[in-house]
Amino acid sequence: MARITNRILSAAELQSFGDELDALRARVTADVGARDARYIRRIVAAVRWTGVAGRALLFLGAFVHAVLVPAWILGVLCLGASKILENMELGHNVMHGQYDWMGDPKLNGKTYEWDIVATGDAWRKTHNFQHHTYTNVRGMDDDIGYGLLRIFPEQRWRPFYLMQPFIAVVFMLLFQWGVAIQDLRVGRWFAGKMKGAELRRAFRPVGRKMGRQLLKDYLVFPLLAGPFFLPVLLGNMVANGMRNVWTFVIIFCGHFTADAEVFPKETIRNETRGHWYLRQLRGSSNIAGGKLLNVMSGNLSHQIEHHFFPDLPANRYAAMAVEVRQICARYGQHYNTGSLPKQFGQVIWRIVRHAFPSRARAVRMPEAAMQGG
Amino acid sequence: MNALPVPKPPRLQRAVRRAVSPALFDFWATRFNPLWTLEQPMARLLSRAPAGRDAVTLVLRPNRHWRGMLPGQHVNVGVEIEGRRLVRSYSPTPLEDGTLAITVKAMPGGLVSGHLASKARIGDVVTLGQAFGEMTLAAPRDDLLLLAAGSGITPMRALVRSLAAQGMPVKVDLMYWARQRDELCFVDELQALAAAHPRLRLRTLLTRDESHPDERIDAIALTSVDGLASRRVLACGPGGFIQAARARLEGRVARFDAEAFSAPALVDGEEGEVQVHLARSGRTLTLARGQSLLEGLEAQGLRPAHGCRMGICNTCVCGRESGTVRHTLTGAHNGEPSTQVRLCVSAPSTDLVLDL
Repeated sequence: MARITNRILSAAELQSFGDELDALRARVTADVGARDARYIRRIVAAVRWTGVAGRALLFLGAFVHAVLVPAWILGVLCLGASKILENMELGHNVMHGQYDWMGDPKLNGKTYEWDIVATGDAWRKTHNFQHHTYTNVRGMDDDIGYGLLRIFPEQRWRPFYLMQPFIAVVFMLLFQWGVAIQDLRVGRWFAGKMKGAELRRAFRPVGRKMGRQLLKDYLVFPLLAGPFFLPVLLGNMVANGMRNVWTFVIIFCGHFTADAEVFPKETIRNETRGHWYLRQLRGSSNIAGGKLLNVMSGNLSHQIEHHFFPDLPANRYAAMAVEVRQICARYGQHYNTGSLPKQFGQVIWRIVRHAFPSRARAVRMPEAAMQGG
Repeated sequence: MNALPVPKPPRLQRAVRRAVSPALFDFWATRFNPLWTLEQPMARLLSRAPAGRDAVTLVLRPNRHWRGMLPGQHVNVGVEIEGRRLVRSYSPTPLEDGTLAITVKAMPGGLVSGHLASKARIGDVVTLGQAFGEMTLAAPRDDLLLLAAGSGITPMRALVRSLAAQGMPVKVDLMYWARQRDELCFVDELQALAAAHPRLRLRTLLTRDESHPDERIDAIALTSVDGLASRRVLACGPGGFIQAARARLEGRVARFDAEAFSAPALVDGEEGEVQVHLARSGRTLTLARGQSLLEGLEAQGLRPAHGCRMGICNTCVCGRESGTVRHTLTGAHNGEPSTQVRLCVSAPSTDLVLDL
């Protein structure tokens, strides 16, 4: 693991670091308009058209046996792409309120409901609020290992974690289900800290959503294919699986690469805006790639920019990244980015390494700077 | 149209609605016809004709999701400008063929009015809200005094037309203020109605007329209105006009109803600040008690949904779990828990928990 050096910023430097990012934010906010509206509507159209194409190809394969295999494969790819786009570039970003300024009720952050088993409302709480406010703060950001994995040596080791390389694979394959139950905090029920009735009540909306999604992909659409129920069901299952794996990879690359840091609770006491930006920077990592990667990752390839500006339209991140990088360089701050194989390789290493007991490196981050220098 | 019942959709439609989201249905259906939405009331712009200086009358054909209106009510019209859907309230005149006529005066710097007055093309589609507003006449019994200033004529025109269609059942005095003669709208039509119905009397008043400026509502003689004390008064105009009319007439007539289309500036500054907790987003903000919640929240960088910003369109309504708010227009306090508040006309009096 490459060691990085971040310059310790004085209080005045932190202030101007934050001010520069605020200024960038203000500039882009003022410029948001028709172009961004056109962009997100094109994404909506892409989700719809690839979705229909995918389902149509699955049916085609079922009914025209000569093309069963190629049509099925192409159908799965189309449907998977549709689901990924809907989940990331559309759902995730719209639910952040990035396009609320449009005043379009169908792209409203408060009401958008995405096409996965997790409810939008639970996500708005665990992700938009908890994760984005308390990014990588231990005990406050549930996304650190999702209460299931030990990603950082700062997390206390337990023998349970020896199984985590295996658990991580299962979690990856069933990622949307993990996201769905995240807010239920089942662990508290296991530990006897939550009553069964409370859990059941919290589960009700989640269960409804799960039922609806299962019904759609594993009953209604397969039934429409009549005797060819099975190929359609399998196609839908693989498309959902594709999305699970892809979203897991992108999200884990966002905060769990080698150089990403976690923070103790004390960090956020009296946190200034400059501190907040600095914490977001140190806890996040980008994935370098082209336009396709940006779109398919919901622009989470620009995780740093997303964490700086979670409510700005994500289609702006790529252009903003140029300036963000310059600002970070000017203040001597490491800008964590790398190719997808490199970043995900580091994630895999963390999952494997920290399955075993490990100790945090002494003085991992310049405490003075984080606490106001 | 006397009542506006919510029609029960046919069974097939209800089944479709359970299975298909408006987003999905609208995406595909509006490829064929932009008015084919599952739920959203929409309208198509059919024609545009000049009506007085800087003003145009637009005729809109609503789709079937729009439930109609009573004369005198308001309707929110949403147009997309630079990627943003902007909503403004208008008081349309319902026409016999089911279309709506709205008269729009291009305000200096007015994004929506400017767009509708000149840029919108015939065939363009706008969103509609359902009609709202209490300035309606179900079965008029009292004689009426209608006071209109500027664009405030629009609901009055709809009311007068509807009364004319009923054969003018009561006496109606319509006083219509504008600054100059060329700003008056519908004058020919109103004069023709007055000529046809002796019970309708029209008075146009020009406050900036060069030769003979008329008095404003606060000073003008009302002796010509017979039986003033037994009349029902409806007034529509800018906030200052409504305040003056209310001060002059409320309590001295049978009933006084008014709608202002710009809220008067806050007179009272209740001092200090309170904590406002936003239950849904989990944030707690410190807001000034002298400022409306909407202004306060916007000053903190939030963008709550809103429409008219004057307390009539209900777009910014949100649930309040606890705390007392002060109505910025009336000064009345309301501490009823678990009710709704309109952010644009409610200032926090105590700490609040809002469902935002």
